[in-house]
Amino acid sequence: MPEASEIVEVEGHIIDSLILPKVLDVILSSGADYRLLDVEIGKTNVDASRARIEVTAADADALASLLDELQIHGANRMVRSDAELAACDRDGVLPAGFYSSTNLPTSVRIGGRWVEVEFPEMDCALVLREDGRLRALPMHRVRIGDRVVVGTEGIRVAAPSRPRGHNPFEFMASEVSSEKPKGLLVAAVADRIRTAKASGHKILAVCGPAVIHTGAGPHLADLVRNGWIDLLFAGNGFAAHDLESNVMGTSLGVSITEGSPAEGGHANHLRVINEIRRYGSIAAAVDAGYIDGGVMFECVKRGVSFVLGGSVRDDGPLPDVYRDVVEAADAMRYLLPGVGVALMLASTLHAIATGNLLPAWVETFCVDINQAVVTKLADRGSHQALGVVTDVGLFLSGLVDHLVG
Amino acid sequence: MTGLAWGRRYLTCPPTYFDVVYEINPWMHREVKADRDRALRQWEALMATLDEAGATVEAMAPAEGWPDLVFTANAGIVNGDQFVPARFRHPERQGETALDIAWFRSHGFGIDELPVGVCHEGAGDALPFGDVLISAYRFRSDATAHAYLSRLTGAAVRSIELVDERLYHFDLTFCPLDERRAIVAPLGWDGYGCRVMEALVPEPLVLEDDEALSFCANSVVVGTTVIMPVCPPRVGRQLEAWGLDVTVCPVDEFLKAGGGCRCLTLALDVTLAPTVGS
Repeated sequence: MPEASEIVEVEGHIIDSLILPKVLDVILSSGADYRLLDVEIGKTNVDASRARIEVTAADADALASLLDELQIHGANRMVRSDAELAACDRDGVLPAGFYSSTNLPTSVRIGGRWVEVEFPEMDCALVLREDGRLRALPMHRVRIGDRVVVGTEGIRVAAPSRPRGHNPFEFMASEVSSEKPKGLLVAAVADRIRTAKASGHKILAVCGPAVIHTGAGPHLADLVRNGWIDLLFAGNGFAAHDLESNVMGTSLGVSITEGSPAEGGHANHLRVINEIRRYGSIAAAVDAGYIDGGVMFECVKRGVSFVLGGSVRDDGPLPDVYRDVVEAADAMRYLLPGVGVALMLASTLHAIATGNLLPAWVETFCVDINQAVVTKLADRGSHQALGVVTDVGLFLSGLVDHLVG
Repeated sequence: MTGLAWGRRYLTCPPTYFDVVYEINPWMHREVKADRDRALRQWEALMATLDEAGATVEAMAPAEGWPDLVFTANAGIVNGDQFVPARFRHPERQGETALDIAWFRSHGFGIDELPVGVCHEGAGDALPFGDVLISAYRFRSDATAHAYLSRLTGAAVRSIELVDERLYHFDLTFCPLDERRAIVAPLGWDGYGCRVMEALVPEPLVLEDDEALSFCANSVVVGTTVIMPVCPPRVGRQLEAWGLDVTVCPVDEFLKAGGGCRCLTLALDVTLAPTVGS
């Protein structure tokens, strides 16, 4: 659970009554922390004094019980009113003034009660369902009559926090650098994956075609085969080259084993895409024995869900590719609940697209030879992303060593 | 010793309908019913003692169904001709407020109410001392009420947290004797409260825990006379050494509902100091 904080206000003769030191004492002795935002001290002893205190506790539950305790001493939450709701008057269009969400844990005060947003997603609207639950929905998904949170009153967003205590990523913070010991980081990522799996979470891999170009396909296939990947997002290119490398032994016409361009190789992926279109789907091609290895093959065999999102420069595309990008994003959305770790592997567009959909609590590792990708992801609000600047082939073979052995 | 500047005029209410029919403090037990005749005799004795000490007593009409109306100390805060009615914590007593407001309105007081949702049980949880109003919170009154009280009355309010449920009202832990002296029961306060009280009361008569639980702090002071429900010998000797006259007026029938002499009275001649500087 992430840290939770809230601003409380205490007013009255709080200095002479020692209420202010008492309140601060109560906060610290409960293990929480505070920041005094401002203190106005009354000039005479008739004048009341007032203090605004930001209280930060380990999680929402600890905060709630601390706030109850503070209330006894007269320290009240600043937010006392419910959030405002407005109904959509057109499908796919939000009321003006809609609250634009973040991917951080968010609660909204409705009917005097704090309701948590179930799966926070950035740049969405918060929609109150009939059953009283709150969902983050992108604007194209709202329908006439949906009740949407507007304004900023009665909305509480927990501050982003990084896991506390000693961990190998501590020294990295949000900084991306190529000057880091990679072996240590790979071991740490393997450890996080293990922990997430052990607690029943899913592992998501978001893959760019470079995974195949660099010859890392077999490593990723290994991870899928051994059950370490539960979900795969990619584009037409990744899947096409994975299939091409399996059928033709080349990736974009270059031999994976020899590294030399194959004769007429530039058309290899087109021929493979063409054949798979003949079968109707990747799964059908696997069933027919046309594909007998590789990442997509292992996904089909193990029943690992994948979403292939299309783009304007796609060849083919493969029959499994979503041609409507909005539908692709929705398909990704439906699969995300339960994801604990996301690996962004040498992918820019799909990594950013996935980052947009993920709640901030999903541990996100962005592996790319180019540190600009990690920076880009963080700049677009996926602050939780930790960068590992390295060749994705080296990274995946290291991961296989740790996880598959 | 000149005694207390206020406390010569009181509002009371005869125990015609007094009984123990609910339990809202650790002293109340429904199976221990009040003996109404005995209660009435004790109350009349208290009235006579007040009169003898030189106090004027007014009585409001009792009302059936409001057994605790007899404890007028909880009706509200009096400040000159201003009355701030209580907002009771328990629904069992909330109906008393309308009766209290009616009495004060018909006797020329201006009524200023606390906001809805903020509890404060009047003089039971707030007593003037020196140039401040000391008010307690936790069991019956809310700390947030103190800022409103200060705004409504213009008085500086010192907040004290009560921590022992047996001493659920401030007037069970504190009895002002004059400008400098008071009976205090630190048993009822948290560490911060003890420090605030230490700073406020130059000459305290500090009660031992068993003395505090005897309710001896729930006394009425009329000039230099201290009218006490009980008086532990050590306390009595100290009061006499200070030049005060002690009169014990047993009200144990009311102790069944958790009240003593002070609880049965509300001083009407209090004017809170609109303090400037200290």
